Amino acid sequence: MEAASIPTPTTHDDHHHGPPIANQSSRVNSEVLGILLFIISEIMLFGAFFAAYFFIRVVSADGWPPGEGLPVAVAGINCAILLSSSVTMHWTDVSAKRDNQMAMRIGIVTTFLLGLTFLFIQINEYLHLGFTPKTSASASVFFGLTGLHGAHVLIGLLLLWMSAVRIFKGKVGPDHHRGLEVPGIYWHFVDAMWIVVFTTIYVL
Amino acid sequence: MAAKIRQPGWYRALAYSILGVLFCLGLSTGLRAAFAVDPVYDGESVLQISLLTVPLFFLGGIGCFDYWLRWASGRTVVDDHADHGAKSWRDYFKVNTDHKVIGIQYICTSFFFMFIGGLMAMLVRAELAAPGRQFVDPNTYNGIFSVHATLLIFLFVIPVFAGIANYVLPLMIGAPDMAFPRLNALSFWMLPVAGVMMLLSFLAPGGSFAAGWTAYAPLSVDAPIGQAFFTIAVQFAGASSIATALNFLVTIITMRAPGMTFFRMPLLVWANFSTSLLVVIATPFIAASQFMVILDRALGFNFFNPAGGGDVLMYQHVFWFYSHPAVYIMMLPGFGIISEVLATRSRKPVFGYRMMAFSLLAIVLLGFTVWAHHMFVSGMSDWIRIPMMITTAIIAIPTGIKIFSWIATLWRGVLKMDTPMLFAIGFIAMFTLGGISGVMLAMVPLDIHVSDTYFIVAHIHYVLFGGSLFTIYAGIYFWFPKMTGRMFNERLGKLHFWLTFIFFNVTFAPMHLIGVQGMPRRVSDYADQFATWNLIISVASFVVGLSTLIFLYNMIISWRTGPKAGSNPWNSLTIEWQVSSPPPIFNFDAIPSVVGGPYEYGVPGAVHAVFDDAKPEPVAVAAGASADASPEETD
Repeated sequence: MEAASIPTPTTHDDHHHGPPIANQSSRVNSEVLGILLFIISEIMLFGAFFAAYFFIRVVSADGWPPGEGLPVAVAGINCAILLSSSVTMHWTDVSAKRDNQMAMRIGIVTTFLLGLTFLFIQINEYLHLGFTPKTSASASVFFGLTGLHGAHVLIGLLLLWMSAVRIFKGKVGPDHHRGLEVPGIYWHFVDAMWIVVFTTIYVL
Repeated sequence: MAAKIRQPGWYRALAYSILGVLFCLGLSTGLRAAFAVDPVYDGESVLQISLLTVPLFFLGGIGCFDYWLRWASGRTVVDDHADHGAKSWRDYFKVNTDHKVIGIQYICTSFFFMFIGGLMAMLVRAELAAPGRQFVDPNTYNGIFSVHATLLIFLFVIPVFAGIANYVLPLMIGAPDMAFPRLNALSFWMLPVAGVMMLLSFLAPGGSFAAGWTAYAPLSVDAPIGQAFFTIAVQFAGASSIATALNFLVTIITMRAPGMTFFRMPLLVWANFSTSLLVVIATPFIAASQFMVILDRALGFNFFNPAGGGDVLMYQHVFWFYSHPAVYIMMLPGFGIISEVLATRSRKPVFGYRMMAFSLLAIVLLGFTVWAHHMFVSGMSDWIRIPMMITTAIIAIPTGIKIFSWIATLWRGVLKMDTPMLFAIGFIAMFTLGGISGVMLAMVPLDIHVSDTYFIVAHIHYVLFGGSLFTIYAGIYFWFPKMTGRMFNERLGKLHFWLTFIFFNVTFAPMHLIGVQGMPRRVSDYADQFATWNLIISVASFVVGLSTLIFLYNMIISWRTGPKAGSNPWNSLTIEWQVSSPPPIFNFDAIPSVVGGPYEYGVPGAVHAVFDDAKPEPVAVAAGASADASPEETD
């Protein structure tokens, strides 16, 4: 039998104190790959809402924009706020790799506050729009897409909060920056997705 | 008692769940009071918020988030592997990070829901045994077949494959565990949450969800509150499968043993790689469709309300953009199982290994281009039909490549006709029949003729029962010795196969006929002309139902008292069979090295992987070299 030539390990030490180190078969780090795959999933979730948007705007030709025009200027400022938070996020990342604890703290707090400002302006905009999701299908799509994005900003902020806690406890440094890098990648995704949402919803 | 509530486990889960209900009650009444909505207390509102929130409290209570919360609060976390491995049966009811424990948790949970879903099928057949009303009123009937389909799709076929792969895949690629063991535990624990939620819908006022497993809007928007159980349970089942798929992908990409190139991976690993790609890309679409339904239901959005400018066809597009790939999610892992079983039990390399792998990827790609063939009669634009018909016919090509490769694998092999092999060969025959009726259904004229008839029911059961379930049985029998260390009863296994195989066909083959004659599906009553066939179908289906009890009995008895199986009862080359049965707690003492292909059966001295503790020289044998002792090559 072919298999007989393979020695079968029969004696195993059940009090082995840990697993053997897994072979790293790819240059990509597993946490980074995990968050990238999750982002693919998230893009598809947005994709489904964009599909709804195109169906309702193009196929069933419900009037667009809902209400009397969308506040493009406000959303544009919001866009700038979120994009600058990506810059500070990157700065935080770089500071972690250089072990600049002070820059890291300033960076993560700035990023967090910028994200919070975005969310605050977005909610404020909702209250002054003059229409609600119940008004029409276009209004539902508007609230659906921007609300979905807002929920992602909220999740991003939650992740940033966790990173901030670890940074302020001095647990992040050049050798321990996955806990910052992974939320950072997610934050960049949230920002990039806003550009797409902003362009399709407000500009087009 | 107080100490027990502080520890992660069932007591804390119960306490947290009660806390969760109170939280939702407070949230709902608080918000309604703040916005001056009358009345302040609304049961449906509390219920819908609870359905979304209480599971999270439960998961927190049982201990899925403990490690992460400790990490997030900035404490130093040390993984001491305290939650790894099972020492008694009680550990299977706890949060565990061992992929082998999670695999068995998955398999047992999904079979539990399989038996409940199967029981509902029996109720459906009992109602349909004769024309007119037998046991249940039409609305209950709608609920029963909806829960039947939903349980078997979301709580059985999809997760049981994840369970088998969870157990086998890390062993196969030489990894000590999955890439994210705690995420793995979380994805398992979301499953019972989803399943129990679906079953609880029977207690909801207005009955269980009854809009079919497709839950088309606007029917699902206007249905009684039971429908919300479906909408939200599917979110948990979907989140569970996305998390598992992501875990599989990362594990396969980053944790293969040295020497395990992509083209040395067993086909089961390839199959789960492809499936996981499908899950990660497609599943968010069903999540989105159900989000829109719940927004319409609970908050008065207008996604599917034509009066407000909404588009009901959009639901079907978004839903099927997930749910067509989902049929491949329910089939591709089975393809992998069959490749393993056939190669091992016919002692031959899998024919066309690379084409087998590429055709899996082709199915993944093509699977995204065919969704609207479910909508030929929906009233969508006519021009979409023809491209969808063509792509649907094309997808039969990679599937055909696989079927012919399996047959070529069997060709002149030394077939060992035991239970896993019988189910594998039975699968090839049944799946081919289901595939052919699938190509028939791709043709627009025929599809229009048999839309919403029993022809569809026959087709879907030939691919999901004769296809997926047969591969699941094959896989369970095949890896049973590895999981339990004991051998199942072969006579009972064979009896199970033949009863299932024969009465499966007696049940579902006549449905093609009565379908073409026009018997509508999803209706609790039918014209008298179909009475004879329906009686035959019902009787046969009860035999199929009883045959699963033989399977259950065999599994339980063999697990307790079966003969010891040894580490490699099938003389397989792949890595999972080279460790003891059941495998040691961390799988390996040292990671093995892969030195050859996984299916070099019939090549003397061929080795797939070597272990560090004794390094035999890998025997290099040129492909196709004649071998003296292997019957399939001496002709």
